[in-house]
Amino acid sequence: MTIDTSRWKRLLLWTAALVLTVVVFANGYSTPRQYPQRKVVRFWHRWQGDWEKQVKKIVDAFNQSQAEYEVVPVSIPGDGADAKFILGVIGGDPPDLMSMGSGAVPNLAANGFLASLDDLMTPDEKTRFLKDSYPSIRDVGMYKGKCYGVTIGADLMALYVNCKQLREAGFDPDHFPQTLEELEDMGMKLNQWDANHNLTRLGFLMSDLGYVSHSFGGGFNVKDDGTLELNTPQNLRALTTIVDYRKKVGLDNVLRFQAGLNNIEGAASWSFMRGDLTVTYDGQWRVEELRKFKPDLEYRVYPLPAPKDGGTPRGGQVGGNYMIVPVSAKQKSGAWEFLKFWTGLDNPDRAATFYNMGGWLPYSPSVANSPTFQKWLKGDPQFQAFLDILASPNCKAPPPIANYQFLADLIGRAEDQATQGAISPKQALEELESKFKEERAKRRELGYDE
Amino acid sequence: MPGVSRIQAKRYAVGYLFISPWIVGFLAFTLWPFLQSVYLSFTRYNIVSPAKWVGVANYRMLLTQDELFWKTAWVTIKFAAISVPLAIVIGVALAMLLNIDIKGITVFRTLFYLPSIVPTVASSVLFIWLLNPNIGLFNKLLATVGIHGPAWLKTAPWAFYSLVLMSLWGVGGSMVIYLAGLKDIPTPLYEAATIDGANSFRKMRHITLPMMTPVIFFNLVMGIIGSFQYFTQAFVISPTGGPQDSTYFYSLYLYNRAWKYLDMGYASAMAWMLFLIIIVLTTAVFRTQKRWVHYEG
Repeated sequence: MTIDTSRWKRLLLWTAALVLTVVVFANGYSTPRQYPQRKVVRFWHRWQGDWEKQVKKIVDAFNQSQAEYEVVPVSIPGDGADAKFILGVIGGDPPDLMSMGSGAVPNLAANGFLASLDDLMTPDEKTRFLKDSYPSIRDVGMYKGKCYGVTIGADLMALYVNCKQLREAGFDPDHFPQTLEELEDMGMKLNQWDANHNLTRLGFLMSDLGYVSHSFGGGFNVKDDGTLELNTPQNLRALTTIVDYRKKVGLDNVLRFQAGLNNIEGAASWSFMRGDLTVTYDGQWRVEELRKFKPDLEYRVYPLPAPKDGGTPRGGQVGGNYMIVPVSAKQKSGAWEFLKFWTGLDNPDRAATFYNMGGWLPYSPSVANSPTFQKWLKGDPQFQAFLDILASPNCKAPPPIANYQFLADLIGRAEDQATQGAISPKQALEELESKFKEERAKRRELGYDE
Repeated sequence: MPGVSRIQAKRYAVGYLFISPWIVGFLAFTLWPFLQSVYLSFTRYNIVSPAKWVGVANYRMLLTQDELFWKTAWVTIKFAAISVPLAIVIGVALAMLLNIDIKGITVFRTLFYLPSIVPTVASSVLFIWLLNPNIGLFNKLLATVGIHGPAWLKTAPWAFYSLVLMSLWGVGGSMVIYLAGLKDIPTPLYEAATIDGANSFRKMRHITLPMMTPVIFFNLVMGIIGSFQYFTQAFVISPTGGPQDSTYFYSLYLYNRAWKYLDMGYASAMAWMLFLIIIVLTTAVFRTQKRWVHYEG
């Protein structure tokens, strides 16, 4: 009797494929478990590449620190993370914890997607959290007096300065301009052009109206009583300054130059590292990137100098990654334990290591002043500028309103229209305010409480 | 005879059993959400809380108070009006070229078809590089003939026309249908025309194009529907519709209303308005077909 081996092979192959499919899909978790006997805490985040590795290290540290929970991290990339989170919640299979862009927090809280973190804190933890946190960082996660988001990676912006290029142009990087006007003059002298009058190096450029308006004593705000601070003289001055400076460099020149930059966030190809930008406005995470990818580049970091008359020093607006717990999360207490571990609410010095891994801003002065953080700061002294901005009373949280994302889009649109020369800064802000009022009237008519 | 009807009923049952996965899928995942969205368009709804009835408020606000509704609708209509005819002209022209019987024509057909199966996000990212004003291929080519190319995706209205250009990248899909249509034209028609002394242009004008009209009509209808739902490329290139709202397409605004601002009721009303616009335009196109579409026999 002969045995048909090919038939047996085929059968074996199909069986293996079937078993694999069942294992992968019936399991429910595509990420393998290290501690299957523990309660699982599913953690979605938006970091990728090198950042994802740092997150993994923090998760591993937590998993090794206790025996009750296992945090399983999943990277959810791209702009669709918000939609995936919403679908997860309504589909009854949300993560237990998610790191979300701060702008989405009030809207998700207002619409009942999020659990209040106050309810997960003990009275002692709550008192400590409210007392210890930097006010601007804390307020980003608050909605109607309750905490819905806690940061493990808040962001701020400051000026990165290329020392060599400044010296070559006759400036001293340690005597940085004290006013915005002086900085603009310096920036114009640092621009470089090729024979065809194409910009090859940009000395300085200011953007992000919502952020820089705080250095002009302004800011886009909706007060608790509903008063709007949108089309204000301070915000108009901020937008006019942005537009006027671009006009000096040439609107088209700036657009072309910016479009040509190989500016992939988080990569070693940041244009400042390549020398295409001399003084540039960017986030605090670049300090750690520079240490990793361009340790030989001599640079300084300074807060944006305020304009000469009526400006406010060290102005800024906190944003970044905020941890949220969905209302239907199955493992809320595990999520909170991990969140406490990462933020350092229970042990600031231990958590300092985590903040330093990604060059993130600590949630509180107790972390910033911890021995571990201070030691790291000695190696990366330029990070101090961000801590100075954070400690400033002019560093604010965005308004905690449910339709903040709509407002943020309007601010972006106003800046876009004005910097492209389509309308004047005055028209742009008038339009912004009138559109926001229209939207608010619509929401009122539809029965929203704001 | 009762025996026959039982057999027939059994046959029907077997038939329905075979198509039941589709029927169940259609009822649960298409028809039910479709009907549900009609109701939701008259409510304020954020997915997690129960919907609250607001009557026709969403529709009234859309039509009378929402400038972006009109703006995004105009961007979409303009896109359809330019990209659909362009795609037809280029698709037919390519199909005619690829209908020529030369050596290696199958390779050319494959090459022209390939871009249409490249994932949309991948091709959008590719175009971001191709249209880079400084290092992109388009401006490099323009520079060789002394033209200082625009900052494509960064300025209005060029960003809009860049998306029109990108839409032509996937013309290979309709080109294959045109090619099938060309192959279907009976050869005796051309032979008769040759005997009558018609040149190539006249053959194209009086035989090829009229015989192709059913296929052109089909692609026109599908093109209108597709362009009114244009989303992915615009979302990848500028999720907020910039610069100057020039790439703020209707579907992109609808998506932002639903998923970013959590106005599902309002977004449902927008979806129904879009449905009505597409129905009106498709009906109008269908009404014109008697005048220009020639069916054989």
